[in-house]
Amino acid sequence: MNSFDVVVVGAGAVGTSVAYHLTKKGFEVALVERGDIASGTSSHCDAVALICDKKPGIDTQMGYASIQVFKELAKEFSYDFEFHQPGSLYVCETDQEYEVAADYVKQQQADGYAMRMVDPYEMQEMEPYLAKDLVGGIWTEPDSSMSPYKLCFAFVEEAKKLGLKVFDHHTVQGIKLNEKGSVEGVITDRGTIKTKRVVNCGGPWARELGKMVGLDIPIFPRKGTILISEKTARVCNQKVHEFGYMLSKFEDINFKRNVSELVEKHNVAFNIEPTKADNFLLGGNREYKGFDINTEIEVMRAIAERGIRFFPIISEINMIRAYSGVRPYCEGHLPIVSEVEEIPGYFIAAGHEGDGISLSGITGRMVAQIMAGEETDFDISKLNFSRFKGQTFADDMAE
Amino acid sequence: MSQNYDDDMLVCRCEEITVGEIREAIRQGARDVTGIKRRTRAGMGLCQGRTCEKLVQAILRQELCNAPEEISAATPRPPVRPITFGALGRGEVE
Repeated sequence: MNSFDVVVVGAGAVGTSVAYHLTKKGFEVALVERGDIASGTSSHCDAVALICDKKPGIDTQMGYASIQVFKELAKEFSYDFEFHQPGSLYVCETDQEYEVAADYVKQQQADGYAMRMVDPYEMQEMEPYLAKDLVGGIWTEPDSSMSPYKLCFAFVEEAKKLGLKVFDHHTVQGIKLNEKGSVEGVITDRGTIKTKRVVNCGGPWARELGKMVGLDIPIFPRKGTILISEKTARVCNQKVHEFGYMLSKFEDINFKRNVSELVEKHNVAFNIEPTKADNFLLGGNREYKGFDINTEIEVMRAIAERGIRFFPIISEINMIRAYSGVRPYCEGHLPIVSEVEEIPGYFIAAGHEGDGISLSGITGRMVAQIMAGEETDFDISKLNFSRFKGQTFADDMAE
Repeated sequence: MSQNYDDDMLVCRCEEITVGEIREAIRQGARDVTGIKRRTRAGMGLCQGRTCEKLVQAILRQELCNAPEEISAATPRPPVRPITFGALGRGEVE
């Protein structure tokens, strides 16, 4: 193992995108990963890049820019990561939800995004199997879908052509600093790699990688569960989800849905998406359970129950697999994408929670811009790690 | 299990994945059944690898020259056999 301009730690969607974009910029890059590529969060998640679930402002701006990155790369890459842009449909159960949705759409439209309200009649045309009693929804044209792990493989395979070196099955045990406190190397269980720059793309494990240099990174694992159907004739044509999902995602909106105790207890919100392999994914929920990714039968049951409420037709379709994964929840909901002031050469690109796939494209691009000393596409001061200065965080998150 | 399989032999019947595709995944860095699965879809179909997992392990052993115990199996996940979303949602499960 010799020396590299940059060592990227973590080969999920964010890490592989960062590695690709840095390699493309001309840096000599090593990608270090404890397991296989895409073996953590990025293979235990859903498969979409959306703007419809982002807050107006920087969140949406990043989401939209990321979709543009994927669009370009899908044309450029010879490795197919199944990018397509079918749009997405948010559905409202009540007039109250519809009103909140309409307000939200107005803000997004004012910012120039292609979102609009649709009535029940149009929804039925778009999604003939959708429950008939819904009051309307939001259709978002730019929303996209792809295979999350193929995305990681694509970034890696394309970057390898440009010189990226991959050290999979190498566990990082420490970050070496020099007497001035700047990064000097990355210590793995199979040797030390010399470098002046390291990027922490550890996702839910970013906190652990921060502790190695005394940083208190407020990123915590948040569990989600997804069910997979057998191959079927088309049930849905795009991502369809309940507007309540957004309301459950942002804890500052106090909104109560009319759902069963089981659904409420497990924080389950309906979402469904078709895959290129003719299955569909049915989700989902969010809960804090540490790094435990065992799939609980009660949660599976609640997801199925909620799914049938919106797509009654799935009642007779088989589920062939269920899985759970941990998403990197970051305090305050925005990811961290910046250098760390206290430790020159230490960068963080993590904490995207359920938006890691979605935002991986733009995150890689921004890290490459930061490192090359270029101006980023837009102001990302809100993503700076310095926003947590002087704060300390407990290790355990509880509901 | 030591014979040399032809590249065009079908391994995963549900997803129609051949020996050649498994070998290509190994060249790309796959080292276990799960790595093969994510790169090729072998084992992602209706039977969830019940038919092909042993064969995938055998090819991995052959290509990587590993001992049998070094090739781990796929992660076991529910359900044990397919169940309709309806039965699951109504709680008709053991």
